[in-house]
Amino acid sequence: MPIYDQGYRRYEARSALHQVRFWPITREALRLILMKRAFLGLLAVSFLPFVVRVIQIYIVTRFPEAGRILPIDGRLFGDFLNQQIGFTILLSIFGASGLVANDLRTGAILVYLSRPLTQRDYIVGKLLVPLALNLAVTLVPGLVLYAAGLALAPELYLKWELAWIAPAIVAHAVVVSAVVSLVALAISSLSRSARVAGLGFFGLVAGLEMVRLVLQNGFNRKEAVLLSLQANLQALGVALFGVVDRQLDIPWGWPLLVLAAVSLGCLAVLRSRVRAVEIVT
Amino acid sequence: MSDNGAPLVEFQDLAVSYGLVQALSGVSGVFQPGPTGLLGPNGAGKTTLLKTLLGFLHPDRGKLTAFGLDPIREPLEVRRRLGYMPEQDCHVPGMTASAFVAFAGELSGLPRDEAISRAHEVLYYVGLGEARYRNVETYSTGMKQRVKLAQALVHDPDLLLLDEPTNGLDPQGREEMLALIHDIATRRGMSLILCSHLLRDVERVCTNVIVFNQGQVAKAGTIRELTGTRLQVFDVRFKGDQAALLTDLKDLGADWRESEDGVRLFLPEGHGPETIFRLAKECGVQVRHLRPGAETLEDVFLRALGHEIQG
Repeated sequence: MPIYDQGYRRYEARSALHQVRFWPITREALRLILMKRAFLGLLAVSFLPFVVRVIQIYIVTRFPEAGRILPIDGRLFGDFLNQQIGFTILLSIFGASGLVANDLRTGAILVYLSRPLTQRDYIVGKLLVPLALNLAVTLVPGLVLYAAGLALAPELYLKWELAWIAPAIVAHAVVVSAVVSLVALAISSLSRSARVAGLGFFGLVAGLEMVRLVLQNGFNRKEAVLLSLQANLQALGVALFGVVDRQLDIPWGWPLLVLAAVSLGCLAVLRSRVRAVEIVT
Repeated sequence: MSDNGAPLVEFQDLAVSYGLVQALSGVSGVFQPGPTGLLGPNGAGKTTLLKTLLGFLHPDRGKLTAFGLDPIREPLEVRRRLGYMPEQDCHVPGMTASAFVAFAGELSGLPRDEAISRAHEVLYYVGLGEARYRNVETYSTGMKQRVKLAQALVHDPDLLLLDEPTNGLDPQGREEMLALIHDIATRRGMSLILCSHLLRDVERVCTNVIVFNQGQVAKAGTIRELTGTRLQVFDVRFKGDQAALLTDLKDLGADWRESEDGVRLFLPEGHGPETIFRLAKECGVQVRHLRPGAETLEDVFLRALGHEIQG
């Protein structure tokens, strides 16, 4: 029986517990996701709209007449962020679907919860993974795009009346990233299979969007926007950036209310599912 | 060991339920420093006690303390001093053993560098040194059991909780795992609770045991006290009136109980099959089948605890 005597020693230097106990969870999960080439490819593709928008700003500053077709104002950022919602959903499908589901499948949940970690530490640690990825394709390129606008066309953007754009980018990107991440993580916690969770998330988002389109186009019901996660997020962007979109033009308070309710529901699901012991009553 | 020499774990009138199912009903006991076995058939409440100790389950009533702390009020401090090897598989998908064990160490509060260094040491200790850079998902059952032990050991806990550590192992793997646990308990001086339904596993490592049955502590003490003298076991099928024969056997100090396919006889030392044949002949009973059997944990329990178990 091989016991390597010299290999084990008692560990006496016990230090105080970390304040940010969730950080190793986030770091390791991100490391594992970013090791996948396909995912890196998807992440790279998510930046293509950003490149297109930078080119757009460049063209308009060089050929001012192009500004008639490609207006340079707050709407450009609203359009860009609304476009990025699709990528946040894709990144969450491939990056977040397995975060809790795999832990439930492999029993890793016990490894986490038998440590000096709270349920909140675990949820925060996992949530930060899709949140970081989603912010990387919304907030970061949004702000860089704004900076590019300031650098390339200061005469267009360096105006007091356009100073709201940066805070609006932050607000919209944070709401989009947080809600999509929460929904993806909550769905991940409902299954023991990453694949099932991914398909479930996609089905939910795509299904509700289709219902919304049918109700809006077939029955002219504007409030159908509130049914779809994607449309609610887009409606918020439309309101924040003053984008003209008749289909999504509803008072901003309603989508905000729906998104808040969805987020609270997701937190409740996570709280009930992230447990070391499953109690069936 | 607990800081003030007090028992590591104490529980008093502890009742825990899963919804409507009562898993522990008013149990009391202590775990002293050193290796202690937690014995009992499946569903007896052993794992429930461990999970309550980890703060996963809240007691309906009663009190449980570990290191003098309440796991419900101070779960982080308690869990920091515990190492838990669960019964079922547990690993983080996509991780190598060294990354997984280091990660577990970090989650327990070790600084990253120290966690990495300890992960390598512990993996060598459990015999996975050469395979430590392999993905855990590619491991055999025995290797997975060892990596589970390594993740429970990495932060050098004050008390190690081992839930059925030999589950799914072949005889050699089982021997190796028990040797490791024995080494941890004796040479490394670590306190542990070995939870098992296999008496032989517990016997190999522990001297003290707490026996659970149907959510209650059936008996606590040393294994010797629990098992007493081992008996010889025979599965026998008779033809004819066996009542007189069984009475004669009982007079010799034997015990018996009905089994699925006849009678299971427990003969005291000095008696063997020849006694059965002789008495059968005297009573005019045919022995249609006789096979030596092994004394199961259930037998030992039933015999050692008698009406306590059956009642």
